[in-house]
Amino acid sequence: MVARTEERRLRALAALNILDTPREERFDRLVRLTQRMFDVPMAMVSLIDEDRQWNKAEVGLGHRDDVPRSASMCDHTIRGDEALVVTDPAHDPRFASYPGVAAEGGVRFYAGQPLHAPGGARVGSLCIVDTRARTLDDNQLAILRELADFVETELARTDELDRAGELQRTLLPRRTPHLPGYDVAGVCLPASAVGGDFFDWHALGDDFQVVIADVMGKGIPAAIIGASVRSVLRGASRFNDVEVAVNRAAAALESDLFETSTFVTLLAARLDPPSGTLTYVDAGHGIAGIVSRDGTAHQFESDGLPLGAPAWEPWRADRVVLEPGDTFIALSDGLLDLFDTIEEAREAARATVASCSTAQEVVDVVAAYARDHHATDDVTAVVVRRHDVA
Amino acid sequence: MEIEKTDRERGITVLRLEGRLTMVSAPRLKSVIDEAVDSGHPRVVVDLAAVTFMDSSGLGTLIAGLKKARQADGDVRITGVTQQVATVLALTNLDRVLRAHPTVEAATDGW
Repeated sequence: MVARTEERRLRALAALNILDTPREERFDRLVRLTQRMFDVPMAMVSLIDEDRQWNKAEVGLGHRDDVPRSASMCDHTIRGDEALVVTDPAHDPRFASYPGVAAEGGVRFYAGQPLHAPGGARVGSLCIVDTRARTLDDNQLAILRELADFVETELARTDELDRAGELQRTLLPRRTPHLPGYDVAGVCLPASAVGGDFFDWHALGDDFQVVIADVMGKGIPAAIIGASVRSVLRGASRFNDVEVAVNRAAAALESDLFETSTFVTLLAARLDPPSGTLTYVDAGHGIAGIVSRDGTAHQFESDGLPLGAPAWEPWRADRVVLEPGDTFIALSDGLLDLFDTIEEAREAARATVASCSTAQEVVDVVAAYARDHHATDDVTAVVVRRHDVA
Repeated sequence: MEIEKTDRERGITVLRLEGRLTMVSAPRLKSVIDEAVDSGHPRVVVDLAAVTFMDSSGLGTLIAGLKKARQADGDVRITGVTQQVATVLALTNLDRVLRAHPTVEAATDGW
């Protein structure tokens, strides 16, 4: 029974995706405030993992080294729902032998308020530590509870980011389309839980449209704009050719992009499957092209501006034909960070397409590369390959 | 990130940036540019020579500042552009709108 509760607790902690993450100002400021409010040398936000105490934020310790659970006072805090106040740890049989207490000038006062994950599991504590003896009155305990509430809100916000990420993933195409004579694949790897990159594809009558876009910025604000761009472009695409669709979408989005000081690079390509004709509009995207059956690359050159740029220039469509065995590939600029020069990145893309036999293989190679090289920006790739004639 | 502002004649102001221009520091740059335009200095030169890192938020802020400055018959021009920044500007074709100049003096030429 105890084991199962602990298992659930550890799962709740894991689900927060907070362990071993870097310091964050939103937690740092809370421990600083806590430290000041109680006039103590040390304050921290601790999480109790299976065998250790790990501090998300601390002030006064100078480091965030792990503490074995057996030497952690916060481990005792999570055993109940009330604050744990220890006014004489040196003479408390539970803590007297703890290194932090037993040391010369060690802990002489501890107060910890348990922190709950959104589901109620006690995952850690907000605590204050002093090297002088002291106590806390009821009013001060109430303040500590309020501050702990703030910390819990921030813990939950991390969780919310993950759910936003899940939602964003559901807005990406999840099924490869049935497109006889072609195979299509795409991937979008946001740098954090949510990102400003997206790709989209959908049938439009007998045609097939593919979009790759990059909203300036990262995180939730960029993702929200991205969702809007995706919808507006889908709407405009239903009744217009790709050139008109992009221009109309840009006009519809203009004031939103201005209000948010954002711009969006995008490439929209519409394929006529029987002929292989690809009509595309490149609005500042810049990293797309065709790799021919024989492995040579034909890069799209375009001088289109991004949507939301401070000058209005109508976008013009260009046209190219995908012959049997040719592959269309578009990549987001997050990939460029992983190469020394843009030429190297383009050559790597060309070589990858030339050596893979399906669109999914190409996309998998790109994704693996991004993960292995710890991409710090969103990375997106879309590939459309026309089958070779038998 | 530090921003050193030097107002000059003919509605010109030069902003010398030092440090990282990212999502965290970009809003501050935006207010400085907005303030400069609002206070009669819509000809803004932003010197990026001492910027150690710039991401798309920084670029977005320069673009937004440029829109506002142009509405007031001014402009935002940049100097001290690194290879990384130049590449992004060329890739997105924004180099046609947000112009890079080799020096501050070259940037103010014609103003």
